[in-house]
Amino acid sequence: MTANGWLQIAVFFVLVLLIAKPMGLYMAQVYERKKTWLDPVLGPVERLLYRLTGVDAAAEMRWTEYGLAMLVFSCATLLLTYAVERLQHWIPLWNPQHFAAVEPYLAWSTAGSFTTNTNWQAYVPETTMSYLTQAFGLATHNFWSAAVGMALAIAFIRGISRRESKTLGNFWVDLTRGTLWVLVPICVVYALALVSQGAIQNFKPYDTATLVEKQNVTTTGTDGKPVTTTVTTQTIGMGPTASQEAIKMLGTNGGGFFNANSAHPFENPTPLSNLLQMVSIFTIGGGLCLTLGKMTGSEKHGWAVFAAMSILWFCGVATCYWAESQPNPLLHGVDQHIVQTGTATQSGGNMEGKEVRFGLANSALFATVTTDASCGAVNSMHDSFMPLGGLVPLANIMAGEIIFGGVGAGMYGMLIFIVATVFIAGLMVGRTPEYLGKKVEAYDVQMAMLYLLIFPLIILGFAAASALLPAGLSSLSNHGPHGLSQILYAYTSAVGNNGSAFAGLNADTHWYLVTQGIAMLGGRFLMIVPMLAVAGNLATKKIAPPSLGTFPVTTPLFSVLLVGVIVIVGALTFFPALSLGPILEHLLLRGGASFA
Amino acid sequence: MSDLIFVAASVVFFAIAVWYVNGCQSLTKGGRHDA
Repeated sequence: MTANGWLQIAVFFVLVLLIAKPMGLYMAQVYERKKTWLDPVLGPVERLLYRLTGVDAAAEMRWTEYGLAMLVFSCATLLLTYAVERLQHWIPLWNPQHFAAVEPYLAWSTAGSFTTNTNWQAYVPETTMSYLTQAFGLATHNFWSAAVGMALAIAFIRGISRRESKTLGNFWVDLTRGTLWVLVPICVVYALALVSQGAIQNFKPYDTATLVEKQNVTTTGTDGKPVTTTVTTQTIGMGPTASQEAIKMLGTNGGGFFNANSAHPFENPTPLSNLLQMVSIFTIGGGLCLTLGKMTGSEKHGWAVFAAMSILWFCGVATCYWAESQPNPLLHGVDQHIVQTGTATQSGGNMEGKEVRFGLANSALFATVTTDASCGAVNSMHDSFMPLGGLVPLANIMAGEIIFGGVGAGMYGMLIFIVATVFIAGLMVGRTPEYLGKKVEAYDVQMAMLYLLIFPLIILGFAAASALLPAGLSSLSNHGPHGLSQILYAYTSAVGNNGSAFAGLNADTHWYLVTQGIAMLGGRFLMIVPMLAVAGNLATKKIAPPSLGTFPVTTPLFSVLLVGVIVIVGALTFFPALSLGPILEHLLLRGGASFA
Repeated sequence: MSDLIFVAASVVFFAIAVWYVNGCQSLTKGGRHDA
């Protein structure tokens, strides 16, 4: 670890901190339908959209109606994306490489993946998806799934702030305003900034470059004998990358235009674009804390939630940066040319799977941020991290994607944890739990528990099945505890709607495509429903004035208790699995063992 | 044939989610919480 590395991490956090308040207040204006400076341009577009679709913008929805509208929208857009993938070979537009139709299992898994904001990619984009599929089938989902998440978070916040109300707002209006006022304008500016750094944006066929040095590649022929071919050219992927990259990061989607994701120089060309990408992952999640504060009339509460998220983020990045700075004991003394200590010209530590232009600090920070926030974009390969370094992304997702979290999903997930926290605090002092004047009663806690239990149930259920069945084990690139980590990571990432991968696992098999598709859909929609139920129930309640027995939710004590509840719930649920995966691997590595 | 299965599976999943909404609602105060 170096002072320079810590300084870069500090710069990142200061930027997130500075952006949070203006972003949060702006989103509150947007969702409360108050005046913004974009109204003259976007107001007519919004009204036209409602007229074309027959939406009554003044109509309010109960939580059940809000949830049903969200489910209908998600089902329709999932099927639309599936159709685009399956029919891409029939659509001559934007398919210069003449890619065939996407195979049905992969098409379904990908459609589910992008609908749920997961963006797990069991394919190589530049050899599978046409430009039309990338732009119309996948990038549109990046906007829609992010806007759905934001709408749901706002619905929950309204449930807290409204008094004796049966409704939570209008899903179609929230979806439209989030897309038009928040996502689209930022992405236009953001994409241009990425282009200025060297990200590409075109619809050209792929380029072919002649290699300076010929390469001899040996493969196994059909008769089982080795075949050596001489490669003299390289195909270089093109496409509308910057526009997809912007929403990929801002919307915490994470699905790369290229297989290497944000490690690819056309997606993430410079250290500045790397910083922009990391900051944008937290922009909406951090802002929503202040939207919560503004809409509930308690800005201090918004900052208390922001502080809890920041504590968890810092613990993660400090652990990951430390772990990746450590030398790999298996390489010690193997070769005098392997330098594992930091020098003026060597970063030291574990550089396997990392971009030299980003180094240790920015790789550890990116891995932490992308898994805190259910983004899933990567600029280094998590599978190559040291065991404890790899544990951090895994544990971040297992915490429930609430550390700034997925856009919207992080906020409503954190609000569920807050319900659990005030319930526990109420038990401690023997009073009826209250949250910002709303009594938290049996039904709210039942639904919160349902939300919290579905998550590990799907992860551990599918991971256990995959660890036992040949169909699950055949995809592993490593065995032993690292293999278990690969399986565990795959389902944690799917259910947490993160989308990043321990790249060693081959998920392009029927078993993983189907089970991960189910896991992603379950992890998104089966958790949203009880969350909306809590929001709907809270909205119906009176707001009682604070009394001596009220647990204040604006203090450092609240932030620490909230962090404690999140850590304890996560540890009780997942520690046994983690101890058999990355923790055991760490201990065995110290003893000199590795697993091929 | 595969297309039909995947489309049907998607519709079935969302139908289950709708049933689930009703299930969660029915748990509220005798099922008439927001009736």
